[in-house]
Amino acid sequence: MTSNDQASDVNTYAASVRAALSDLPSDQADVLLEDLEDHLREISAEAGGPLTERLGPPEQYAQELRAAYGATQVNTRPQDPALRDLPRARVWVTGSEWYRQVRAFLPELRPAWWVLRAYLAVLILVAAFSRGYGLGPIPNPTTKRGLAEILAMGVAIWLSVRIGRRSRNLLQGARFLAVSANALIALVAVVVLGNMHSFAYSELIGTATPEQAPFTAAFAGGPLTNVYPYSQDGKPLTNVLLYDQDGQPITVAKSEAQTSYPVGADGKAITNAYPLTQRHLNGDPVVAPRVAFPPWPAPSATASPSATASPTH
Amino acid sequence: MNQAEVDTTQLLKGVLDLAVLAVLAEADSYGYDVVRRLRENGLDHVGDASVYGTLRRLYQAGALNSYVVPSDEGPHRKYYGLNNRGRKALDQSAQTWASLSKALNHLLNGRSNGHDK
Repeated sequence: MTSNDQASDVNTYAASVRAALSDLPSDQADVLLEDLEDHLREISAEAGGPLTERLGPPEQYAQELRAAYGATQVNTRPQDPALRDLPRARVWVTGSEWYRQVRAFLPELRPAWWVLRAYLAVLILVAAFSRGYGLGPIPNPTTKRGLAEILAMGVAIWLSVRIGRRSRNLLQGARFLAVSANALIALVAVVVLGNMHSFAYSELIGTATPEQAPFTAAFAGGPLTNVYPYSQDGKPLTNVLLYDQDGQPITVAKSEAQTSYPVGADGKAITNAYPLTQRHLNGDPVVAPRVAFPPWPAPSATASPSATASPTH
Repeated sequence: MNQAEVDTTQLLKGVLDLAVLAVLAEADSYGYDVVRRLRENGLDHVGDASVYGTLRRLYQAGALNSYVVPSDEGPHRKYYGLNNRGRKALDQSAQTWASLSKALNHLLNGRSNGHDK
């Protein structure tokens, strides 16, 4: 065995022993394994031959060491084989070439994170202070609100980069706080982004009537784009005004079709008069759907609500 | 490992501290040398890891001094030696061992006498 072989034999053996004892508290492990390599070199030099031949497998050596050292917090319960292999797997991963490359590359991504976290922080704030406001991944610069958002993001990015560049040498406690804050932003952002789909959807509906009350009707089948009222005897009604329980006009989602609202005497569009007059994009008028009327019970003395006059006998 | 070896290992566990202290009382020594001297004294089955672990524990408990001796041929050697505390521990353990072995010998003799009858 050349001295090179011996050196690598000692290093491999020592690494395996350390891995097998990686569950020891670090202060104990430090004291126990302080001069393990020197000791193994001694054996290797005097005994010759591979260490496993002389000392047995490193795991067994570690076990003996553990028992002799009297490490009290030793795991005596039988370990899950998967758990037992964990330290070894860790050594294998951390020793590999690609791990080193990834580790070397990660710090270069830091500035990217500084920008991203600023964007996410503003997004979180907007989501927190504007319930019901349509939250999109990119603010709409044509609205006041979107413009403010973009401005806020600019400021936040500037701040975030400034903080990032100055936090190179933080104290232990401050570093822990900083890492926690970053993790918190990332975590909350995941929640906000997860809800964004539904936000974006409500934004679509909300912009239909910007100056109207924010209530819009929807039903399980998708967005409601028009309402077709009929009288009890199946006659289509026109210009039926719908209001909700609060007295607010009920409006529907903006559909692909072009809607022309009747204009009131005060010059304002009446957006809750149904059915809406709509045209497809190609100019064809939107026609009423075919409907099936429910069979009413035979007319009785008590007049049911109806657009037609009460029956007279 | 046969049964005799298992027994020896089990019995050794309890007295290894005493054996290591006794070896170091003769002369300061380094890990591998302690193993060799224990084996020369008839403790053939003493494990290297057991001795190394025992040395580290006794050192941690404050019973041993340690110093590094540079070596021309091989690696630096970490020597261990008894300090006052170690010597006291050795005296106490030696007494305990003496009374324990006396009692055990007595028991074992009684058993063999009984067999002879």
